[in-house]
Amino acid sequence: MSQVQARFFTENKKYLIDDVPFSIPAASEVTDLSAVINKLLEAKNGHESVQLCVVCVCLQEDVVEIEYVEKFTAPQPEECIMHDDWISSVEADSEWILTGSYDKTARIWSMEGKAVMTVAGHTDVVKDVAWVKRDGLSSLLLSASLDQTIMLWEWNSERNKVKARHCCRGHAGSVDTVAVDPTRTKFCSGSWDKMLKIWSAESNEMMPRKKQKTEQMGLTRTPLMTFSGHNEAVSSVLWMDAEELCSASWDHTIRLWDAETGGQKNAITGSKVFNCISYSPLCRRLASGTTDRHVRLWDPRSKDGSLVLLSLTSHNGWVTAVRWSPSHEHQLVSGSLDNVVKLWDTRSCKAPLYDLAAHEDKVMCVDWTENGLILSGGADNKLYTYRYSACVSDAGA
Amino acid sequence: MRPTHSGTMSKLKNKKRNLEENEDEQLPIFDKDGGKDAHLDDGDEDQGDLSDGEESVFSGLEESGSESDDEEEEEEDEEDGSEEKSSDIEENQTADGDGDDQLSAKEVIKPQTDGQNSKEEKKKKKAAGKEGGEESVASVRDSGLQISSQVDEYEHDTSDEEDIRNTVGNIPMEWYKDYPHIGYDLEGKKIFKPIRNKDELDEFLDKMENPDYWRTVQDKMTGADIRLSDEQVDLVHRLQQGKFGDVNFNEYEPAIDFFSNEVMIHPVTNRPQDKRSFIPSLIEKEKVGKLVHAIKMGWIKPRRPKETTPQYYDLWAKEDPNSILGRHKMHVPAPKMKLPGHEESYNPPPEYLLSEEERLAWEQQDPEYRKLSFLPQKFACLRAVPAYSRFIHEQFERCLDLYLCPRQRKMRVNVNPEDLIPKLPKPKDLQPFPTTQSLVYRGHSSLVRSISISPSGQWLVSGSDDCTVRFWEVSTARCLKTVEVGGAVKGVAWNPNPSICLVAVSYDDTVVLLNPGLGDRLVCTATDQLISSYEEPEEVMDQSVQWAVAEGEGHEQGHRLILKHPKAVRQVTWHGKGDYLACVMPDNGSSLQVVIHQVSKRRTQNPFRKNKGLVQCVSFHPIRPYFFVATQRYVRVYNLIKQELTKKLMANCKWISSMAIHPGGDNVICGSYDCRLAWFDLDLSTKPYKVLRHHKKALRSVAYHRHYPLFASGSDDGSVIVCHGMVYNDLLQNPLIVPVKVLKGHTITHDLGVLDVTFHPTQPWVFSSGADGTVRLFT
Repeated sequence: MSQVQARFFTENKKYLIDDVPFSIPAASEVTDLSAVINKLLEAKNGHESVQLCVVCVCLQEDVVEIEYVEKFTAPQPEECIMHDDWISSVEADSEWILTGSYDKTARIWSMEGKAVMTVAGHTDVVKDVAWVKRDGLSSLLLSASLDQTIMLWEWNSERNKVKARHCCRGHAGSVDTVAVDPTRTKFCSGSWDKMLKIWSAESNEMMPRKKQKTEQMGLTRTPLMTFSGHNEAVSSVLWMDAEELCSASWDHTIRLWDAETGGQKNAITGSKVFNCISYSPLCRRLASGTTDRHVRLWDPRSKDGSLVLLSLTSHNGWVTAVRWSPSHEHQLVSGSLDNVVKLWDTRSCKAPLYDLAAHEDKVMCVDWTENGLILSGGADNKLYTYRYSACVSDAGA
Repeated sequence: MRPTHSGTMSKLKNKKRNLEENEDEQLPIFDKDGGKDAHLDDGDEDQGDLSDGEESVFSGLEESGSESDDEEEEEEDEEDGSEEKSSDIEENQTADGDGDDQLSAKEVIKPQTDGQNSKEEKKKKKAAGKEGGEESVASVRDSGLQISSQVDEYEHDTSDEEDIRNTVGNIPMEWYKDYPHIGYDLEGKKIFKPIRNKDELDEFLDKMENPDYWRTVQDKMTGADIRLSDEQVDLVHRLQQGKFGDVNFNEYEPAIDFFSNEVMIHPVTNRPQDKRSFIPSLIEKEKVGKLVHAIKMGWIKPRRPKETTPQYYDLWAKEDPNSILGRHKMHVPAPKMKLPGHEESYNPPPEYLLSEEERLAWEQQDPEYRKLSFLPQKFACLRAVPAYSRFIHEQFERCLDLYLCPRQRKMRVNVNPEDLIPKLPKPKDLQPFPTTQSLVYRGHSSLVRSISISPSGQWLVSGSDDCTVRFWEVSTARCLKTVEVGGAVKGVAWNPNPSICLVAVSYDDTVVLLNPGLGDRLVCTATDQLISSYEEPEEVMDQSVQWAVAEGEGHEQGHRLILKHPKAVRQVTWHGKGDYLACVMPDNGSSLQVVIHQVSKRRTQNPFRKNKGLVQCVSFHPIRPYFFVATQRYVRVYNLIKQELTKKLMANCKWISSMAIHPGGDNVICGSYDCRLAWFDLDLSTKPYKVLRHHKKALRSVAYHRHYPLFASGSDDGSVIVCHGMVYNDLLQNPLIVPVKVLKGHTITHDLGVLDVTFHPTQPWVFSSGADGTVRLFT
């Protein structure tokens, strides 16, 4: 059997080995190489065995240079949380999971999948939910609904009481998306009526109560600012930083707005309806899910805004949800109408890292928390959570 | 009379005259002997008779006679005695007279052979002479003929001598039967019959003994028996055979033309000219007079003078000058010969001379492929150069070159068959159009007959045979609302006015206006208010349709107005402004097939006094006040303001099923149950601009996109075909129709596939509802 000269290298200092060429069989597989490296590491510093995978192979002067990185372990499914109806949206923080459902309610779950609270008050389907902030035991949360309102709720986790603080009225269509700004004082909403509205997220103490039904619905709040410019329904909105807004719409554009002045800064034109966008401050890329089967990456800073950096193609249906990893600059997760959630590494754009095929119906929403939890909800009324440990170690590195 | 030249005729006559004169001179001689020989001559009577009739026949006798000679004559004379002599002479005379014409010509030749012939004859005659006297008489007479001819032709020439022997003339001889004589001779003396004493026995004996009995005949004129000579027998034989009596007569003699080119001094006929040849003809005069009169009156015109200019066909008269120029342009000059080079020199530089190997290679090469057609050779001086051996060959090749050189460039028309196909853009270049199935809206339990989309594009309504109307969220395929109605839903239509939230649903004979409560709350409440704020007019109109406000549970579900029709309603369609609603109640021959409702005034009108045919579907013009009514075969376009028929479109198909109007309003597509889709350009004609036959089965529905140049057709074969249908503002440019995609997804249930198609108002998406109870979205 023929032998080839190979040199292993890595950027991770934890797994450095001597920069000496080795002679290895030419027919070696990935597992064989992994075993070789593990042997070397063990001999060097007695490190426990790790799964490695070969990322890059390049040939230099008869020596095959092989880069190796730590292999990501597959996301481990944790919980399956049943709902009464389709799950339209999910957002989790380190402790609680907030979901919006087609049964006109929003629900709060613990990480273990225990139903904690049902937030009912909307007269129609809840399309989006968001955490605003947590002050100790009391939290502020938002729910946007098809009934054209956004409600700001105050939830006391100790007493397990939820109270409608404000009802934000102003949209003339269903509110499909809300996003809270990094300062946690404002939030933006996008609606089917093509408008973006910025509202205050402050929970003012009760004004002298009037004899109205505010007890139920909270005080009516009006928007601070309205951005108009989209020609079609706004499907997704997010804050890139405290001053900059980004919105995706059915009119095939992604628009960047100045949150202070309300002016449009940039527009990215695609060829299909945008369902969702996600922004990663780590790699400063926008990921978009469209009504074709591609996840596309955009550079929001580029002046020539219609250039696709990368398109990730593996889904078979509309991409309904996409979310960057909050801790890894190369990884993102996407959900699609083909019932599959896919985990991507942008460095290997040909195929996803993992397919999470647990859903039996359309995937409507995905989320990825800081502490490495991937959540996906869909039309099969189930919310799945996955533990993705690699992110933790990677984040530490 | 034989026709002869007058000259020869006269000669002959002269001859005859001479002969007659001779006769006269000889007569005395004859007379002397005549008395004695009278009875002896009897035997010759017959002959004389014969000769009288036919001169030419007897000429044979004379000839034969001419063979005998002088000696014979003399001997016979001695034997027969004087009597016979005289008769001989007589006979000679007669014979000569008859035959002189012929003899005169032949006498010259005969004498040479005479000597031999005469001896033979003599012997014969001697033998014959012993047998009987009569025979000898005949032979003597024959020889006598010879004598006379010999002596002198003209001496005894008497033409009618024989008649003289018996002068009774040509009478029946029976008259002398009882007399001893038989007539009278010239002298007036009786000619006595020969003594006839033979009885029957004698006759018999004679017959048996006389070998010449068969050639013995009786001369009627004299009553004597005559033995016919050989020549005479021969003559008789010849006559019996129908030949000419004269042996030497040539009946095929070359004829001498009577009329010849020679000018004769006498005319052929001497007839004097008629009198009429001197007198002008009256008939002719009359005819000429008529002609003259006609000419005077101008009835007859003089013949037109012939055109003297020659008429030629101008070969190049019609040839246009351009073609001549073209011909000149196409001229190909004759090939030029190469100028001689150094190789041809008699003393070429050494590098042009071939080496031995090159020469071998040259010789082995095919003459066609040789670079040089000759071998360069070197000579010491020009004088040493031999005659060029290939001269003739080369001239021949040169002639071939000139002869075979193409004289004209052939213009070949290369037509690529693919160029003839009209250039259609590739579907790839015509994006966006729906390509894949994205969402399936499940929920109905029976066939979904009709779908309609809200003007905002957020909601979709579908009506099904399971008696429900469902409202769907387009983006997620979520059924948000289900409204039950009292029958299988035939048609649904969302009010196109964005400020009104109403959906018309038709089932059975009812049309219900629903307020789904979707979309803007303000709009929904405004719509409700609009309906509830209606005030009954003072005078109640008598309408064919009953309007009722829904109450109770129906109102809870969203029912607002209920319109009861007299017949089953098949289709509902809104006017673009959203106030008018047209309903179709197909019923052949009825005058009430189409009604138009005005929702704000709750009024119903029947726009047509009479409907022709079975109305299939109707549609409002998107901009102008036109109304389209599709019957089985035609689409009629009515002007609602002028209330008249504007156009009638011939669909060329058997049964129209559906119709859609282009948002521009100038184009109409019709789907038909016979698998065709007809595109009408109203500006072009009333016939289809294009007929597409892509579906395998009946078309159920057609639809235009509101913004994109797309149209779609749904068919019973379960497929939706999306076509690019670009309409240009330029009137000169015809619409461009390119089929771009066949969308499949629906399963065929009860032989029904796709029942309705509709486009999303803003996106290039198409919805289709099928018999399998699903609605599908293709993007």
